[in-house]
Amino acid sequence: MTPSSFVKLDGVAKRWNGQLGVEGISLDIPEGSFTALLGPSGCGKSTTLRLLAGLELPDEGTISIDGKDVTTSAASDRNLSMVFQSYALFPHLSVAENVVFGLKVRRVSKKERQVKLHRALEITGLLGYERRKPGELSGGQRQRVALARAIVAGQRLCLMDEPLSNLDAKLRNAVRKDIKKLQRDLGITVVYVTHDQTEAMSMADTVVLMKDGHIQQIGSPDDLYSRPNNTFVAEFVGAPPMALIDATAFASVFDNSATVGIRAENIQIVPSGQGRLRCVVTESEFLGAETLIGLDHAGASGLCVLKPGLAMVAEGSEIDIDFQDESLHVFDADGQRLTG
Amino acid sequence: MKSLIKFMDSFGAILLAIIWIAPLLFAFWAATHSTSDAVNLNLFSAWTLDNFRVAWAGAPWLKYFLNTFLLVTVILLGQFVLTTLAGFAFAQLRFPGKDYVFILVLMQLFILPEVLIVENYAMVSRLGLFDTVLGVGMPYMASAFGIFLMRQAFKGVPIELHEAARIEGCGLLGILWRVYVPLARPTYLAYALVSVSTHWNNFLWPLIVTNSPETRPLTVGLSIFGAPENGVDISVISAATLMSVAPLLIAFLVFQRQFVQAFLRAGIK
Repeated sequence: MTPSSFVKLDGVAKRWNGQLGVEGISLDIPEGSFTALLGPSGCGKSTTLRLLAGLELPDEGTISIDGKDVTTSAASDRNLSMVFQSYALFPHLSVAENVVFGLKVRRVSKKERQVKLHRALEITGLLGYERRKPGELSGGQRQRVALARAIVAGQRLCLMDEPLSNLDAKLRNAVRKDIKKLQRDLGITVVYVTHDQTEAMSMADTVVLMKDGHIQQIGSPDDLYSRPNNTFVAEFVGAPPMALIDATAFASVFDNSATVGIRAENIQIVPSGQGRLRCVVTESEFLGAETLIGLDHAGASGLCVLKPGLAMVAEGSEIDIDFQDESLHVFDADGQRLTG
Repeated sequence: MKSLIKFMDSFGAILLAIIWIAPLLFAFWAATHSTSDAVNLNLFSAWTLDNFRVAWAGAPWLKYFLNTFLLVTVILLGQFVLTTLAGFAFAQLRFPGKDYVFILVLMQLFILPEVLIVENYAMVSRLGLFDTVLGVGMPYMASAFGIFLMRQAFKGVPIELHEAARIEGCGLLGILWRVYVPLARPTYLAYALVSVSTHWNNFLWPLIVTNSPETRPLTVGLSIFGAPENGVDISVISAATLMSVAPLLIAFLVFQRQFVQAFLRAGIK
């Protein structure tokens, strides 16, 4: 086993009665890394995670964890833990019983259970809550119980299925940092499913962007943001997402390009008559540090520009914009990235 | 108009309650008075506990109580085991012909147990269980109602809990025991109430399949005690009847609240 592939999926496919689940999923996840599976709902990211967990069995391909082929192994034999979106805490058991559930099933001695329980509760800041039932806890506390249960056995691989989607925005930011810190401190490998690109981009070492059961791009957050593989990635990643402009809308210098993409921060507003495109302002959105101005142009979609501070522009007014060729992303007719 | 309907509502309810409880009240009245005072409804006659003394001495009641207690316990345990396993299979497992088998089980609900008495009698004899507690209880163990109830309760358990238990290393029976059974506790309680009261009061089948005071439950013992050939003494029979129903009655009065809640929680009213 090389450290570069702790978890390996090779050509994995899963189909539901002819309907597409996932197809041709190949992934190499190094030990101790944080990998996010990102995509819109129904893209197959949860299915991929469930295949990895052993809750579903693949129709094709192989899965190996820690150098061992686990393609058809039972979930309990894969030595991993999982945090569910709904937390899946057992409502009839107390916090302590929930956390040591797996240890008890695996017949770990009572003394060792106590030590591990104490440590897990300490890490997640739940000491003093041992006797509470999940129903008596807040959403954030329940989430931490789920985390404690995932780390208590010391499994090296932890799968998380949208663990933050039931928390409010403020708590989500705090827990995001906690999870990231936890992962670093314990040195565990985390595979994290989310539909929220902010979560994926801020936490993950590697982001796997999926759509319709296929992987669109695997790379660091910077890769996805700065070098999107195709127009889907370009439009999915970033807030605001990349604007796509029909190459015929202006004098293009690129051969056989169908679409060019440009990020809002690379667009400048220039005095009338000096820009490469003339657009109509559709909306101005004050974000605090800057103002997002939405633009409309016949050959473009998602075009917008950022202005520092409060700088509202009247709707319907025309402005000219300019951009440098270096900051353009060029895609062919199929939406695939051309070098550049 | 509205107040009239409201009045009729409560009036009807009270009337029904009186009609329903009248036999019990009369039994209580008769049991605590001498026979002639009881039938004459002489309101100022003396109270007495003699009837209970006579009735108690007239039959091996302690043995009957024990038999009934043993009977309902054996039936309940058998039902818990069978309905849990069958309900779990119907709720969470996949096997060929599952729907057809489930329909077959449900069809059992349409068949009155009395219809099967002859067949059951033959079967119990073939098994050599005639005149045993197990023989009395066995036909009721694979209860269709119980299987249906457990299936519904198990279907209501979130699948994530099942999956979480699987990942934590539980086998199928482990999941059933550690997750499904504890979560279905209100259903078990409600079902236990129905089962215990049904079989405490069951009469016809035990009458046929028991033969000796060693196995006879309360209901059968009471009917023999009150049979005309023993001479009809309404007060003594009432006393014996009150003794037979007393455990259930007292249990209900004491645990009224929990009983009703158990039914509410189990979703059957």
